[in-house]
Amino acid sequence: MQSSKKIVVLGHFGVGKTSLIRRFVTDAFSDNYKVTIGVHITKKTVEISAENNVSLILWDLEGTDDIASLRKSYLLGAHGIVFVFDVSRPSTFQDLNDNLAIIRSNLPYVPLMVVGNKADLVEEHALKNVIEAQEIAVDFIASAKTGKAVNALFLKLATLLTTNA
Amino acid sequence: MNENDKIELLKDILFSDEHEFEKKIAQRVTFLEETIQKPTKLAEKVNPLITDQINDFKNSIPETLGPTITETLKKQIKINKDAVVEALYPIMGKMVKKYVAQEMRLLSEKMNSQLSFLSLGKTKFKSFFTGKKKEGLVFESLNSAKIEQVLLIEKDSGILKASYAKTKTIDEEMVSGMLTAIKSFVEDAFNAKNQNLELIEYELYQIHLESFATHYVAIVISGNFSLGAKNKLQDIIFNFYNSFMAMNVDLVFQTKNSQNSITPVNKATIEKELLKHFKNAKL
Repeated sequence: MQSSKKIVVLGHFGVGKTSLIRRFVTDAFSDNYKVTIGVHITKKTVEISAENNVSLILWDLEGTDDIASLRKSYLLGAHGIVFVFDVSRPSTFQDLNDNLAIIRSNLPYVPLMVVGNKADLVEEHALKNVIEAQEIAVDFIASAKTGKAVNALFLKLATLLTTNA
Repeated sequence: MNENDKIELLKDILFSDEHEFEKKIAQRVTFLEETIQKPTKLAEKVNPLITDQINDFKNSIPETLGPTITETLKKQIKINKDAVVEALYPIMGKMVKKYVAQEMRLLSEKMNSQLSFLSLGKTKFKSFFTGKKKEGLVFESLNSAKIEQVLLIEKDSGILKASYAKTKTIDEEMVSGMLTAIKSFVEDAFNAKNQNLELIEYELYQIHLESFATHYVAIVISGNFSLGAKNKLQDIIFNFYNSFMAMNVDLVFQTKNSQNSITPVNKATIEKELLKHFKNAKL
């Protein structure tokens, strides 16, 4: 069985949303930072089981410091959400719970993954302390640069979507 | 055995049936008490009755309340003519305006073709000055519109439901997503409610977008996409909608949160219908 699911990837400016997607779709990484304008759409098919494939249509939204100002029409019909923050920049996760509440108010029943990117820039114990201090419920600590947890993140979301379907 | 015991024994023998009956009544009373006191149990008994009543009421509305409602509406419309006009103007006004504009352009195109005897001289004239062959210029004018690709897309998510294409090109699922993003952006940017993006042009191709309640159809056209061709294309799309889409609840209504389980129409069936309606369509 093959189905298609819309996944919206969002977060602050420069947290590495596009890099995470690029790592997942093409298994590549570039230090050359290009700002996403509007939205960029890519696709990757994930094999859940021998007879169950999911096409993830990834909507990479432009970064914003104010999640409330997001273009709501881009969120319409989303089957899954990935909220990305930068573990090395506290400003991208200080208001995380408020940001998540805004997303939740728009899409109350949609699976949401919270991902801390750029794990390669911060030492593990320091990372743990920061997350514990902020009381953040993080699903994955990933690195688009090294590839850490990237596939696992999207595979988990795809599996969740097929079991919820 | 004393006297009392004997009487009790006699009672037991004589009233055994009544005891049984009494026991059954007691059980029944207990059951009724439980049913009344426990909301879930009461609901089990009462809900079907209420549902039946509601259904009966719903069915009887056209006969019992229909004439009254119609009469009341007529009166209200007569009394509040201005308010009705104001309420309907944004919808009707837009439709009428669009229809008149389209008809005027169609009329203009027809007049041009009626004056085609002039076009022969025009072609010779153009050929003389541009150095192009007459045949080439005639061919250019005959370059009629052709349907290259049809995509049926979910309006909100941009998920591709099904497609028909003469030749498969780039990933249609990504194109569907991108078209939906462009559509959302433009419709948001102009902040005009109930207006839809209808056409995207790029060099040799044009993408005609026809929006319905929950889905839209994107059609890639090559050649000269005149107003006449647009009219014909819209007829084909509406025919596809009326004869197929409208017959499938999941293509017309938002069924995601529906309580009734609705089996969505499968991709192969939609593609068969797209092929039937669009493959040999002449614009």
